[in-house]
Amino acid sequence: MSESTAPAPARTTSGSAAPVFSVRGLWKVFGPRAERVPGSEYAGLPPAELREATGCTAAVRDVSFDVAKGEVFVVMGLSGSGKSTLVRCLTRLVEPTSGTLTIDGEDVLAMDRGRLRELRRHRAAMVFQHFGLLPHRTVLDNVAYGLEIQGLGKAARRAKAAELVEKVGLAGLENRRPAQLSGGQQQRVGLARALAVDPSVLLFDEPFSALDPLIRREMQDEVVRLHREEGRTMVFITHDLSEALRLGTRIALMRDGGIVQLGTPEEIVGSPADDYVREFVRDVPREQVLTVATAMRPPTAGDGETGPALRPDATVSEAIEAVVRSQQPTARVMDDGRLLGVVDHACLLDVVAGTGAHGVSV
Amino acid sequence: MATAHAPASAAGPGTGGPLAALRGRPALGKLLLLLAVAAVAVPLVHARWGGGAWPGALTADLSAPLGEVNDWIVSNRDSHPLFVYFLGHVSNAVVLSVRGVYLALLALGWAGVTAVAALVAWRTAGVRLAVTAGACFVVCGLLGMWVPTMQTLALMVVAVLASVVLGILLGLAAGLSDRTFRFLRPVLDTMQVLPAFAYLLPVVLVFGIGVPGAVLATVVYAAPPMARLTALGLRGADAGVMEAVTSLGATGRQRLLTARLPLARKELLLGLNQTIMMALSMAVIASVIGAGGLGDRVYQALSSVDVGAALAAGIPIVLLAVVLDRTTEAAGRKAGTEPTGRAALRGARGWALAAVLAAAVAVVGRLGGGRVWPEGGVVPVAGPVNTAKDWMVDHLYTGIPVIGGTADWAAHFTSWILNPLRGGLQGLPWWSVLLIVAALAWTIGTWRTALTAVLAMAAIGVLGVWEPSMDTLSQVVAAVAVTLVLGFAVAVGAARSERLERGLRPVLDVFQTMPQFVYLIPVVALFGVGRAPAAAAAVVYALPAVVRITTQGLRGVDPAAMECARSLGATPGQQLRQVQLPLARPALLLAVNQGVVLVLAVVIIGGLVGSGALGYDVVFGLAQGDLATGLVAGAAIVCLGLMLDRVTQPTARRSRKES
Amino acid sequence: MARTTPRTAARARTRTSATVASAAALLAVTGCGAADMTKQASPFAAPADIKTVTLSVQSWVGAQANVAVASKLLQDELGYRVDLVQTDEVPAWDALSQGRVDAILEDWGHPDQEKLYVQDKKTIVPGGDLGVTGHIGWYVPKYWADEHPDVTDWKNLDRYADELRTPESGDKGQLMDGSPSYVTNDKALVKNLGLDYKVVFAGSEAAQITQIQQFAKAKKPFLSYWYQPQWLFNEVPMVEVKLPEYTDACGAKAPADIDCAYPTTPLQKYLNADFSRRGKDAAAFLRKFSWSERDQNEVSRMIASDRLTPDEAAERWIARNPDIWKKWLD
Repeated sequence: MSESTAPAPARTTSGSAAPVFSVRGLWKVFGPRAERVPGSEYAGLPPAELREATGCTAAVRDVSFDVAKGEVFVVMGLSGSGKSTLVRCLTRLVEPTSGTLTIDGEDVLAMDRGRLRELRRHRAAMVFQHFGLLPHRTVLDNVAYGLEIQGLGKAARRAKAAELVEKVGLAGLENRRPAQLSGGQQQRVGLARALAVDPSVLLFDEPFSALDPLIRREMQDEVVRLHREEGRTMVFITHDLSEALRLGTRIALMRDGGIVQLGTPEEIVGSPADDYVREFVRDVPREQVLTVATAMRPPTAGDGETGPALRPDATVSEAIEAVVRSQQPTARVMDDGRLLGVVDHACLLDVVAGTGAHGVSV
Repeated sequence: MATAHAPASAAGPGTGGPLAALRGRPALGKLLLLLAVAAVAVPLVHARWGGGAWPGALTADLSAPLGEVNDWIVSNRDSHPLFVYFLGHVSNAVVLSVRGVYLALLALGWAGVTAVAALVAWRTAGVRLAVTAGACFVVCGLLGMWVPTMQTLALMVVAVLASVVLGILLGLAAGLSDRTFRFLRPVLDTMQVLPAFAYLLPVVLVFGIGVPGAVLATVVYAAPPMARLTALGLRGADAGVMEAVTSLGATGRQRLLTARLPLARKELLLGLNQTIMMALSMAVIASVIGAGGLGDRVYQALSSVDVGAALAAGIPIVLLAVVLDRTTEAAGRKAGTEPTGRAALRGARGWALAAVLAAAVAVVGRLGGGRVWPEGGVVPVAGPVNTAKDWMVDHLYTGIPVIGGTADWAAHFTSWILNPLRGGLQGLPWWSVLLIVAALAWTIGTWRTALTAVLAMAAIGVLGVWEPSMDTLSQVVAAVAVTLVLGFAVAVGAARSERLERGLRPVLDVFQTMPQFVYLIPVVALFGVGRAPAAAAAVVYALPAVVRITTQGLRGVDPAAMECARSLGATPGQQLRQVQLPLARPALLLAVNQGVVLVLAVVIIGGLVGSGALGYDVVFGLAQGDLATGLVAGAAIVCLGLMLDRVTQPTARRSRKES
Repeated sequence: MARTTPRTAARARTRTSATVASAAALLAVTGCGAADMTKQASPFAAPADIKTVTLSVQSWVGAQANVAVASKLLQDELGYRVDLVQTDEVPAWDALSQGRVDAILEDWGHPDQEKLYVQDKKTIVPGGDLGVTGHIGWYVPKYWADEHPDVTDWKNLDRYADELRTPESGDKGQLMDGSPSYVTNDKALVKNLGLDYKVVFAGSEAAQITQIQQFAKAKKPFLSYWYQPQWLFNEVPMVEVKLPEYTDACGAKAPADIDCAYPTTPLQKYLNADFSRRGKDAAAFLRKFSWSERDQNEVSRMIASDRLTPDEAAERWIARNPDIWKKWLD
């Protein structure tokens, strides 16, 4: 797990300054006298043996990562892998057992109640799997709830809330109650409520897994759009690999409380860290994730002359399409007019078939 | 009836070794263990104290110390600081507030009160209930019961307000603190199964006969459901919502006020509904200790067997119960849903309109008439009812060919069922009663419930009221048996036929809302005085709950299982016996439990119509000022209630009630 | 944490002052300090400032007759408003002592209460004779006694136990008692005289009367606790069973040891001490109230047998007997 401590610079965060969240050696252990487990001889035990020996369950074990400003940091894993506990540790909805955790350089675990409340009110807002809406309030008052507990006046908070209701596409439904909305609409309310307090980080806990596939897709687009428009930092928990690949700037893959691999979608799919990850990503349509930068080979003489030009972050499937259209045997991978390499049929087919060795990243 | 479970679960040795058989049937194992304990203990106990009724050596005579306490209270009531500086204020506050409400009701005048009732019902439940509510108060006036109705209402308002405040405070404590909840939960659960009558004596001991005591007894009786439901509602708040609220940085107080309490609104309103119904029931029974009002009219009429007068006072009680129940129930149903109706009448505007209308009607009413119902506008019903009753006594009471008369039935029920049962129970060696209780409670419940049941039963013996308690127990058993036979039969029919169930539902609704006291009126007319009418009243009172729970249980059986049975060609009888009844077992056990609890409550009140035993001791204690006797009997009733509840308490009841 | 301390302290202070304020308010509302709950009136007492007398009415008809006539006269002749409080005998003493009731018009002898309230606490004063002499005893119907004259001696009762069996009494003879609130030694008597009988409580006097009437209609034998004066004797003639003769020594025994007949009691009136001093003409009227057995029975029968309301019965009697009640008003 040591590889996770040194995050690779991500595509969209080039030149990023201090991380928003910085997590080091974080543990959350449930059970009797949980505090004795981290750092002890029990720490390395597999879950079953740990439970046998101590009666404790380690939901999060020794996790370290940074969340860079402006990125969408996805934590992915199957149910029970500890991802939901992890995201709750970030604002201490679940109290971590040990480790360090900072937000914008400030130690979260050292905060007193008032400071922590400030953190939750202004800096990190969360969107929940089951929405967590107040059934007795209208849509508008639900969206305004975060502002209300901050003590904002009625007119001001309603104005702000109305703005956000509009933004998430619920205009006209302000006076409905949550029970009268569809799941997707309810989650839009949840999203608007989180956005209303204008937090520096948005935390999503499997927000779309309770929704129908079509609605889920729509909501994912919504998140992509929001991210594009506002560039807000997001931590996104999901068990759905395609969702992770679609949204994530970087993905942390969790298993049994620990991070198995942390990297860009391409790294995860292209060079799985172990058999578990490999098994996990086996069915992913690799050509849609991997970029030509991974698939290309060094140019040989004459390659640089013909064929369509591609950016290095174009996906393999885009390359295939370009190659087929152009009727050329190869395509050139160009960055700022510089030839980085070429992709030919063999390179592209290797990716699709999953036979090539793509451990190299640029 | 309840004994049927033990042999059923013990019957039939399993295949394989004896140990395997035991593993498959935990009940058999428990019984064998109990048998082993009995084999060792019984000869010793029998040799030491003998069989038969509870041995005198093991009783503790509490009447002397209790008598002393009573005397001390009587002589210190006007001087001791505890009374003068604390209880006296409590008592004064009750009198002041009841008087305040009473005068306010009188000041509103009959037109005003009727209008307020109708308009409140209109705002919460719609036009139909508004008409019912208005009609209810008009009928109270027509029956010449306006003043008693207002007295009962005044007492109710104060008692319900106090119960709600107390209940919410307790509920908040239990809802927010796990330790308080663990402590309060069993206490509240137990208080809910105890007969109302048992609450009267301790209150009388301290406050004497009169309105303060009646109000306080009512509060003690009616607060537990509020506390219980508040606690359950607060604890049952959607964890996801609470987490979301916390994640937005709400303080503890904000979480409680903006989320936890509003989320529990349904439970709070259900609690209010139950509290009101229990308060009404108790406010009427408390006429025995001087509550006045409608209950007092019923009590007076009963003591002169004036069925007509009793009915004239009983009808307003029933009407009040129905209106209060439906109004609060509608409020609970509406909680959290979108306001409906014309926009102009929504929310505060509607209430304002209602208030203005009520004020207008009250003013007009006061200008036109007096505070109370005009004396000329009374329709005498007592006369005709008594004529009808006399006719019935002359023609139906006895000597009808073939079927006999109601009095003959009562006599037969007494001599063929009640007497042998009482003889049998009183003749059983005391230790065998304890063993039977243990066996029943353990097979159906856990060792904890069994232990509580046995201890409660032993406490009855120690109190020295074994004989009357066995008498009461025999009445309870007989009435429960009748209730279950009738109830299950009706329920099986209702579960089969949609139409029967639809027809039955409003009847059950009304019967379930009526205060226990009301049931005593018709049975005295039909069966005279004695144990048989008390048992009959108990059956009528408990029947609706049994029918309802059983029907729901039978209906709730997994349709897939029924379909499967049908596809295999099972006859309706087979379906009932082999699929529905076994699958509905938890519901049936719950029905038995409820039946027992309800029957006990009425059998005890039956002391007022000559059922004797423990209920009589309480009445006697109150009537003679012999609180020692009454308190001992009251304690025995508590123990008996506890025992009967535990003996019939299915293990799963807890979890079901929470869901 | 340090930052929040002053706020917490401030909150604690406001809470304390709120508590003090509410306690003070409570005291202000409730008068000051002491509150004597024994001096409370009923919250349902007449709302207006009218002269009010509260009378205790017991469950038997004779008592209702007294109260009906007295309250009718208090209302019509003296202009009082009368509240009636239904209480049983012993609680009535307690209520009388506390002033929740102003007068009891018919008491059958409660020595314990008399000692406590009249002699020791002096909260109750005697109000004189009612004019009626009461006697409690065991009675059998005349039609049965005529056939079996020896039944009127308690020593022969066991011989008739079989005939008097009912479902309620099981294998013993039934001795029917009335309301649990009445003065009765019957359980002790049955035990101490070794009789093969069981005391069965009808629950109320009305139930007992109904039962007696039904026995009489069927000409069935019965044995019942009963008392004189009682209007039912006119309808169902009854003969008293002789019990061992009453002596003062026997009457002084503990209730569980009594083995003799009931005494003959001149029925008494009692007044609350305060009311007696301040009640003016109402108290004077109630002290003078005194009538004969015949008068009481006349009113009782109109109430119980003719089903008149007590008010109507009283009105008829008052119309017929002005010479009797005029004297009470002087």
